[in-house]
Amino acid sequence: MSILYLLIPLGLVLLVLALWAFFWAVREGQFDDLDTPGVQLLLDDDDAPPGNPPASDRDG
Amino acid sequence: MSNAAEERCFHCGGPLPWAARRTLKVGGVPHAVCCGGCEAAATLILSQGLGRYYEFRESPGPMAAGGTHDWTVFDREASLRRYTHERTDGEREASLQIEGLHCAACAWLIESSLRRLAGIGDIQVNPSAARAALRFDPRRVSFGAVLAAIQALGFVPLPLAFAGGATADFNAERRTALKRLAVAGFGMMQVMTYATSLYAGAMDGIAPDLEQLLRFVSLIVTTPVVLYAAQPFFVGAWRSLRARTPGMDVPVALSIGGAYLWSVVATLRGGAAVYFDSAVMFTFFLLLGRYVEMSLRHRSGLQHDALARLLPESVLRLRGATIERVIADELRAGDWVRVLPGERVPADGTIASGTTEIDESLLTGESLPRPRAVGDTVLAGTLNLTGPIEVMLERVGQSSTLAAVARLLERAQGSRPRVADLADRFAVWFVSAVLLLAAGAGLYWLHVDAARAFPTVLAVLVVTCPCALSLATPAALAAATSALAREGLLVTRTRAIEHLARADCLVLDKTGTLTRGEPRLEAWTVLDPRRSAERCLAIAAALESHSGHPLARAFAHLEPAAQASDVACVPGRGVEATVAGVRYRIGRLEYVLAACAGAPAREAASGAEEHTSVVLGDPTGVLAVFHLTDALRADARAALERLRSLGLVPQIASGDRAGAVAAIARALGHLPQRSDLSAADKLALVQALQAGGHRVVMVGDGVNDAPVLAAADVSVAIGSGTDLAKVSADVVLLGDGLTPLVAAVLISRRTLHVIRQNLIWAALYNATAVPLAAGGYLEPWMAAIGMSASSLFVVLNAMRLLRGAAPRSARLEHTAPAGAHV
Repeated sequence: MSILYLLIPLGLVLLVLALWAFFWAVREGQFDDLDTPGVQLLLDDDDAPPGNPPASDRDG
Repeated sequence: MSNAAEERCFHCGGPLPWAARRTLKVGGVPHAVCCGGCEAAATLILSQGLGRYYEFRESPGPMAAGGTHDWTVFDREASLRRYTHERTDGEREASLQIEGLHCAACAWLIESSLRRLAGIGDIQVNPSAARAALRFDPRRVSFGAVLAAIQALGFVPLPLAFAGGATADFNAERRTALKRLAVAGFGMMQVMTYATSLYAGAMDGIAPDLEQLLRFVSLIVTTPVVLYAAQPFFVGAWRSLRARTPGMDVPVALSIGGAYLWSVVATLRGGAAVYFDSAVMFTFFLLLGRYVEMSLRHRSGLQHDALARLLPESVLRLRGATIERVIADELRAGDWVRVLPGERVPADGTIASGTTEIDESLLTGESLPRPRAVGDTVLAGTLNLTGPIEVMLERVGQSSTLAAVARLLERAQGSRPRVADLADRFAVWFVSAVLLLAAGAGLYWLHVDAARAFPTVLAVLVVTCPCALSLATPAALAAATSALAREGLLVTRTRAIEHLARADCLVLDKTGTLTRGEPRLEAWTVLDPRRSAERCLAIAAALESHSGHPLARAFAHLEPAAQASDVACVPGRGVEATVAGVRYRIGRLEYVLAACAGAPAREAASGAEEHTSVVLGDPTGVLAVFHLTDALRADARAALERLRSLGLVPQIASGDRAGAVAAIARALGHLPQRSDLSAADKLALVQALQAGGHRVVMVGDGVNDAPVLAAADVSVAIGSGTDLAKVSADVVLLGDGLTPLVAAVLISRRTLHVIRQNLIWAALYNATAVPLAAGGYLEPWMAAIGMSASSLFVVLNAMRLLRGAAPRSARLEHTAPAGAHV
């Protein structure tokens, strides 16, 4: 059973890592909007807009 | 009539006018658009290669207002100071509210398009909040240009005054809550593992050093859970004790704190048992419930500053000979401003020059525009429809009528929490009883067997502790909320579900609620025997295509006879124009008669009172009378009949004229009705019903309904209604009909039944467990398991509400009263 003296602290280290990762994700705003990214996948596409440079809408 | 009425605008989904048709080629297929604004927006979107927006959006966009707005006012120093915030690197940040933003596709469209603009650091659009967070470089792109770019896509950007946007606060709160939840959740997983080993060890034997190790590790994991995750309970308990109204937080804080401290001492001194598991599990479950509650609260609070949006952000101010566009904040009483057609009046004032029609429907509920001339008063937030006016401002900002409506709304909302009071009083009673019982059991055991005193007190606190009781209601309400969302109803206050289940009175507004809020040509009388009805309609359509009056939209689907020339619009009266060589007038009877003075008077058949009449005439006299009505929603009658069979007695309360209301009431099967009601009258009506012991559901849409909505037991706003009504509504109908209300009543009744079952279970459980715990028969870990099991039962029972997924139509067949079919 002495392996437990290694495994339990190891589990604690993993716990800290998992929490750190979650906190990081929260701080980065990963949980702020849970709806858009799912649809964004469908919308975004690689093909470039047909030749029209974006500067056209800047004369506001 | 042409079937073109069925065809809709490609961009905004609105009806298409016959006059000046515009089409747009999308992948070679022509699509019709309704106006230049929509055409420009759609062209821009397609030219940027963002046409996928049209495939994925959930509902059509708003009608794109043409690019007439002058956004350069936002480049003024005062605007930049007010709406943006300078970062150290010279870039500026701003928070925008975006009108017309419905779904993720809209958010994607704005983000994708704006990111191509040079000088945009970043833009994040959140569709559920209808907000955008913007970072831009003012040296490369002006603030006004960014706003203009958003408008070019067909949305209306409204910069929010800096200094703490609500979204930022919500996000901060949500992030903190998530972190606490994560700490408690991860902690619970670990501590439960250790606890299982300890319990197994207690039964089968365990090496003392290993037991000590497990206890120490549990202590290490539990400490952040108690000190960080459970913090809100301690803060809440302290606050409620200081206010001398002990709430649910007090026993929660006592049991978490007590279990933790006891276990720490037991670990350090080698005491008999540790209760880290109880403390952690308890924290996690309670935090989970709070998180769900918080999410619901945020969703309802998001639109809170909607009222300010009725005011224009910028306005033309006249000073001597200079005219400049200033932001509304810079206005003072005594200022002289020019309000163009299509703009809102920035503050209460008197018209100093110009004649126009003003749409006051948001404030007074009057659906037809009012003519206004020099010397008349105009109110803040109302919409100038037809002509430019110059206004001498009298009451600005907080002293304006709009602000007064806002205060009325606040008061009505503030006077409601009777129910909340009741729940709190119950909590105080329950908590006090639990505390007394725990203290009594503790004292008893101190005398009998001091070593058992603490475990007993803890067991009593844990076993009774709210879990089952406090989860009984929220779990069912949360499940019901999702079930309702699937039916097309957004619940903003869960309390509404309980009230909806018990409601017996249904008060409906007319315009925009029972009707579509768009006038429609209902009937016509031709008075000149030489003309055919078709000819008259075609002439009318030709004339009305030049009018911006809402009534003119009723003619938009007709094919005009020919192009009208020499058009003259007289606000509040009608339109005059030449069609095929004849001078015609259309509009009010007096206006038309004025043009044919001396002509043989034809019997001007006065239309039935419920109709709004428009008269067409030429110099020989009146040719035809058109009767317009606001069409009833297609599902209104069926929905109301079902609701009546469910025990809700419907009645109409409208600010409209008696005739129009009576016609609608008749069409719906002789509903009781009241007309000509002001906002205060409606409020009085609802309060009188409540005083008579009725529970009132109010369905409405206008801003003037907002105070009434706030006072009713349950308020329902139609999704297409103004945003402010949604703010004070408990339930928002997302679709465009009343049918979901029927499902709402059924689901809420089932919910109430589930809540009742849950409460009975929780009460039975407590009645058995508490004596056992107080008698010292329960170890705290047994209490924790019992508590968890009963919570689980309650949650699973509530989940049945989600599963009750009979197809929508079948569900509507149910007409049984409360609880008869669960």
